Amino acid sequence: MNNIECIINEATEKIKNADIVVLENLKVEYLGRNGILTQILKSLSQYSIEDKKRIGLEANKAKSIIENEIDKKKESLKKALLDEKVQKEKLDYSSSFYFPFSKGSFHPVIQTIQDISSVFKSLGFSVAEGPEIETDWYNFEALNIPESHPARDTQDTFYLDNVKNLLRTHTSSGQIRVMEKQKPPIKVIVPGRVYRNEASDASHSSTFHQIEGLVVDENVTFVDLKAVLSNFIHKFFGFELGVRFRPSHFQFTEPSAEVDMQCPFCKGNGCRVCKNSGWIETLGCGMVHPNVLKAVSYDPGKYTAYAFGIGVERITMFKHGIDDIRLFYENDLRFLKQF
Amino acid sequence: MKISYNWLKKFVDFELSPKELTEMLVSVGIESFVVSSVCDWSNVITVKVLDVQKHPGADKLSLCKVSDGSKEYSIVCGAKNIATGQIVPLAKIGAVLPGNFEIKKSKIRGIESEGMICSESELGLKEKSEGILVLKENTKIGVALENVLDEFDSIIEIEITTNRGDCLSYLGIAREIGAKLRKVASLPIIKTFNVADLNCVEIKSDLCLRYIGAIISGVKVGPSPKWITATLEKSGIRSINNVVDITNYVMIELGQPLHAFDITKLSSKNIIVRKAGDFEKITALDGKEYKLDSEMLVIADTKKPVAIAGVMGGQYSGIDEKTGTIFLESAIFDAVSIRKTSKKLNLSTDSSYRFERGLGWDITDFALWRAANLIIEFADGKIEAREDFNIVEYEKTKIALRFERVSKVLGYAIEKEEISEILRYLEIDLQPKGEIILCTIPSWRNDIKEEIDLIEEIVRIKGYDSIPSLENNVQIYTSNNSFLPAVVEEFRVKLNGLGFSEALNYSFLEINELKKFDLKYFYKISNPISKENEVLRPSLLPSLYKNLLLNIGQNFETVTLFEYGKVFNEFGERKTFAAIMYGKIWQEWWKWAEQKISPKYDFYFGGGIVKNILPSDEFIIAENLNPKNYYHLGKTASVIYRGKSVGQFGVLKPSITDDIKDIKGDVFYFEIDLELLKTVCVERNSLYKAYSKFPVVKRDISVIADKSLQFSKIEKVIKNIMKSNGILKEYSLFSVYSDESKLGAGKISYSFRLSYKNNEKTLTDEEVNKDINVLLQKLDSELSVKLRL
Repeated sequence: MNNIECIINEATEKIKNADIVVLENLKVEYLGRNGILTQILKSLSQYSIEDKKRIGLEANKAKSIIENEIDKKKESLKKALLDEKVQKEKLDYSSSFYFPFSKGSFHPVIQTIQDISSVFKSLGFSVAEGPEIETDWYNFEALNIPESHPARDTQDTFYLDNVKNLLRTHTSSGQIRVMEKQKPPIKVIVPGRVYRNEASDASHSSTFHQIEGLVVDENVTFVDLKAVLSNFIHKFFGFELGVRFRPSHFQFTEPSAEVDMQCPFCKGNGCRVCKNSGWIETLGCGMVHPNVLKAVSYDPGKYTAYAFGIGVERITMFKHGIDDIRLFYENDLRFLKQF
Repeated sequence: MKISYNWLKKFVDFELSPKELTEMLVSVGIESFVVSSVCDWSNVITVKVLDVQKHPGADKLSLCKVSDGSKEYSIVCGAKNIATGQIVPLAKIGAVLPGNFEIKKSKIRGIESEGMICSESELGLKEKSEGILVLKENTKIGVALENVLDEFDSIIEIEITTNRGDCLSYLGIAREIGAKLRKVASLPIIKTFNVADLNCVEIKSDLCLRYIGAIISGVKVGPSPKWITATLEKSGIRSINNVVDITNYVMIELGQPLHAFDITKLSSKNIIVRKAGDFEKITALDGKEYKLDSEMLVIADTKKPVAIAGVMGGQYSGIDEKTGTIFLESAIFDAVSIRKTSKKLNLSTDSSYRFERGLGWDITDFALWRAANLIIEFADGKIEAREDFNIVEYEKTKIALRFERVSKVLGYAIEKEEISEILRYLEIDLQPKGEIILCTIPSWRNDIKEEIDLIEEIVRIKGYDSIPSLENNVQIYTSNNSFLPAVVEEFRVKLNGLGFSEALNYSFLEINELKKFDLKYFYKISNPISKENEVLRPSLLPSLYKNLLLNIGQNFETVTLFEYGKVFNEFGERKTFAAIMYGKIWQEWWKWAEQKISPKYDFYFGGGIVKNILPSDEFIIAENLNPKNYYHLGKTASVIYRGKSVGQFGVLKPSITDDIKDIKGDVFYFEIDLELLKTVCVERNSLYKAYSKFPVVKRDISVIADKSLQFSKIEKVIKNIMKSNGILKEYSLFSVYSDESKLGAGKISYSFRLSYKNNEKTLTDEEVNKDINVLLQKLDSELSVKLRL
């Protein structure tokens, strides 16, 4: 082993165990102006041309090897230092993050209205609205519910001092408003607040929300109604659920139907939520009664129409497993903050 | 209405289990469910035991051969009481017994059993039982168990829609079953007699449409036969005596309410159907006294009413053990009049419930004879006289049905033959005339008035499940409007991010809740059933304030709520948005604990939130010239939009909030009237403004002003500079200082941070200094506001 090789080995050995200060010293010791290798290169003149060439080459090579080793070591020392720093700075992610405000919340009833509306918007419906203070005509008469009809019993009505005005008992009054303003074709939903003069309990509230739907055109049929409502239920609750239409009665539709969907909790096998029936009552609907079309001067020979009504609280209660409708109107933050 | 499953079978022939029956009724539009049932099984049949052998592998088991008449089964049975020749219930493979116990094919001690012979407890008939259930010797074999278990019945609750009064009887339900199953419901057999006219009845009101009366003498009042009391009991009607029970029974059997009274108790033999006098009274069978009026129909003798027609009989003419001669009445009264009477008296009875919904014309006479027959048979009576007063001419409804119209409404075709068949089984008389059928409607179907009603009948009986489901046919086009106004959407999302919760309150308040907030205008409800519903809310504040108190009571340190809804005030029905804020602004945090940073909602912070959530620069906050009475007059402002005040905000006045114990800070309230904002659209596509690539120069200055000077005047000067020269781009107020010992009496100091920028080049100090000097000079000359050194 010649001298230069010895130098390389010695230097590499020293670098291996060096810290950053030692490393700087080694750089001076070997590569500095008066360093070992510099000395060798400076002393070349005393050798023969041949040796000059050989030793010069070897010394230069050794210089770059050692330089490289030092750089490498430097890098690794730097990295180790940073690693240590990061290690030391580690925070506990499980401890506490902070945002100055607590989490906000949207009311579940309004949210359901928004969600239902967007499904119907995707089915081509627009959104309309009507007043909450209504007249007997819009709320009853025009909807084929004459004064003496027992159907009025099922909708206990709030009257205002001026008895001609009442609080609408259903959003169906919106149907009449829309038809008076527009010509067919019509395809709207009318969401809003409705009122019933009844004692409140876990499932009844004097104030609640409905979404009315109305479609009028020249060839609207029961088949279309079934298609749209099945579509709605599938999009809103899930595509795997069965949908059942069964006959019912509303004064302003004929034929009328109640629409049930299979209980999503038990898939129709019967459970507490569906009271063992396997079905959940979702909405009421039907083909608009010709008397209603006549009331707004539409020709029932030319136009047919369907309508439906959805109880928003009912669906919301069902969706979130809420068993008392009054919770919606108490506005206790322990309830509201959950949504 | 509750009916008995077994009794129903007397009126129409069907082989459905109680559960299947209710499902079928639901499918034709009659909501029904099994209230109490013991036979909720399927696949349980009656079989005869042919042979019993010992099980080779177990002492206590036996191997049985049983037969259902056509097929034999081998069964392993553990009961001691099994014997050859018995008729027993067999749960076949696949049967499901109570408790969701499914019978599966299985080997018991090495031998296969093709089902299980059941005990009463296994069938759910009794809680405990010993051995298998052995049926009567002559029981039919091979039939479903529920069909032979007479002693075990199911009670079915029926809920009818308001238009189907005809379904309020066994006969009515049987007719529906018949229509669906294509069978004919059968009426009981009656005997009629030729007897003398009554000659004692006078009809004085056209609210009585038909009146049939009969006098039956020699009646022995006593207990009813068991089948009547049992049937009534199943419908929840208490047995009284044979005569009353018979009238009640005929009502639930045929749907016609009847009334019987003791004619010897009347002051005269004359019976008058008339309107009541305005101050007349009657003590009814329930023992209560009712005040009548001239719109109510009564049955009376010459002196006083003996019954409120169609609603309830009077006490003094009631049937008791001593009664010997009765007057039996079967009538049709005007439905609307009965309904009004029942509502006014707050007295709803089985009878009024049926009259209100309308009765079939034909059944009135039939029901009278049915009841008379039963009274003769079970109370030894003799019919003396009878008379039928047809006050109005009754004509059956005739409707022309166009076949083409059926598919036009329904959207799919139903065969003409099927349409006719369905209508015929609904007992509608048909006269086909080419593309039309002329339909004559039976008298009890007063809900069928026009063609569309017939179309409903057709699809109802055919079944809604027959309607094709074409979900892909839904026509799509798009629309962009929403239930919530765009401005409200903006408010909601922004406030949600700031930790607010959305509230929803009833639209009602109690009158005395308004006083506290000095709300003077309101709409009053004329018929509230509860105090909570006295008036419509003229503002969202009272209920939001109530919500605030509730949540403070729950120890919430921060309560921030908003609500969108309608209020009803002197301007009418108004869409309104409001928010209420109280308490700590920041949540507590350990990292901030040392600094003790715990600001509370106040006028400035609340106002900052309002300013932040307003959707555009067109909204300006200004002095509140007309503050609502509930605001602290020194801490309120108004929101102006296009020169009009659209909302107000501020701190609630102390006289309101003094009911909050240890109040921490202010209660801030904001309300905006959305009816005034109909034209606002929330602009998302306003034009982009180029920003400078050159650095911003920031300078802080402090000025001293008189406390009486409105801050907005200083701001106005700054804004004017911004408008005029273009290098002052932004300003913010970062400190307000009012230590008079240092500033001098009546003085206040504001510190501003000013941001300067030039879009074309880097600004020099000189340029900025020059601009600041212009500002200071203007402040001094216009407002005497001086630089604080």
